[in-house]
Amino acid sequence: MKIIRIVLQLLVLYGFLLIGEAIQALLNLPMPGSIIGFLLLFSALLLKIYPLEWIDAGATFLLSFLSLYFIPATVGVVDYGPLFSGKGVLLLPIVVISTLMTMGAAGLASQHIANRSTVHKEES
Amino acid sequence: MAFTPSAIIFSVLTVAAYVVANFLYLRFRKTPLNPVITATVALVAILILFDIPYETYMEGGDWVAAFLGPAVVALAVPLYKHRELLQKNLVPIAAGIVAGVIAGLASGTLFTRWLGFTEELILTVLPKSLTTPVAMQVATTIGGIPSLAAVFVMVAGFTGILLGPYLLQLLNIDSPIGRGIGLGASAHGLGTAKAFEYGPEDASMSSVAMTLAAVLGALLSPLAAWLLL
Repeated sequence: MKIIRIVLQLLVLYGFLLIGEAIQALLNLPMPGSIIGFLLLFSALLLKIYPLEWIDAGATFLLSFLSLYFIPATVGVVDYGPLFSGKGVLLLPIVVISTLMTMGAAGLASQHIANRSTVHKEES
Repeated sequence: MAFTPSAIIFSVLTVAAYVVANFLYLRFRKTPLNPVITATVALVAILILFDIPYETYMEGGDWVAAFLGPAVVALAVPLYKHRELLQKNLVPIAAGIVAGVIAGLASGTLFTRWLGFTEELILTVLPKSLTTPVAMQVATTIGGIPSLAAVFVMVAGFTGILLGPYLLQLLNIDSPIGRGIGLGASAHGLGTAKAFEYGPEDASMSSVAMTLAAVLGALLSPLAAWLLL
C-alpha cells in the first residue's frame, strides 16, 4: 500500500510541476515552471488547502535520491573540457570568492539582525 | 524523450553509477567521495573510453533528469515542516537570504564581466549558489549552460564545506542562525551537510536557507542578468 501511496503522490508532484510550467508559458515568466509549482504547493500547504499527509511520503521518497537526478547534467562537462584548459579556468576562483562573499553577507546579516532583535526584547 | 536501446542502457548505467558511488561514500565517509562527483567521473570515463557522444548518453540521461522538476516542487515539503522555525526568525532569515543572494549574483556577474567572459558563461556562473536542480533550470531559463552551471554549483558547495568554517570564524559568525543561513545560502545541500556538524539547529536553518535562496535566486537571476549585463 505504501508504494501505491508514494506513486500517487509522485503524480501529484508532477501535476504541480505541469501547472507551474503552464503558468510560466502562459504568462511568459522568466523563471522555471518548477519554482512556480514549488510556490503553489507551499502555498497550498500553508493555507491548509492541501494536507501534508497527502504529499509527505512521496516528496520525502523523491528527495532522498535528489543527487541522482542531476548526474546526467554534470556528465555534460565531457563536452566542456577545452574551456577549463584556457582562460575558463579563471571561472573557478571567481566561483570560490563569490561563494565566500555570499556566505559572509548572508551569515553576518542574519546574525546581526537576530542579535539586535534579542537585545530589543530584553530591553522591553 | 526517446525510448531506444541507448535510453535503457544509459539510464540503467546512470542509476548503477549512483548506487555504487553512494555505497563508496557511505562506506568511507570522505567528503571528496561526494557521490555526484564519483558517479560523474565514472560516467565521463566510460563515455570517453567507448567514444560515446554525450547526445547518445542523454537518450537515457533524459529519463533520469526528468525527476528534477518534480523534485524542485517537492522541496516545498521540508520547508513547510520547518515553518515554525521560519516564522519565529522571519526577519533575520529574510535579511540573510536577501543579502546573500544579492552578494552572490552581483559578485558573480561583476567578476566574470571584468575578466571579459562571454554572456553565456556569465549567465552560467550566476546561479552557482542555488541548489543544483534549481540552478540548472535557472541557467536554462536565462540562457546559460545547465551542465556547466551544475559544475559551478559543485565548486560553490565544496568551497562552503572546505573554506566555510574558516570564513565563519574569521567574521565571528558563531550563532546557529548566522552559520546555518551563511552555509545554506551560499553552499546549498553541501553547506547544509556541513551545518549538521555544528548542530541540529544550524542544519535546520541551513536547509531553510537553501530553499529560500533557491527561490529568491530564481526570481532575481533574470533581473540581475538584465541589470548587470
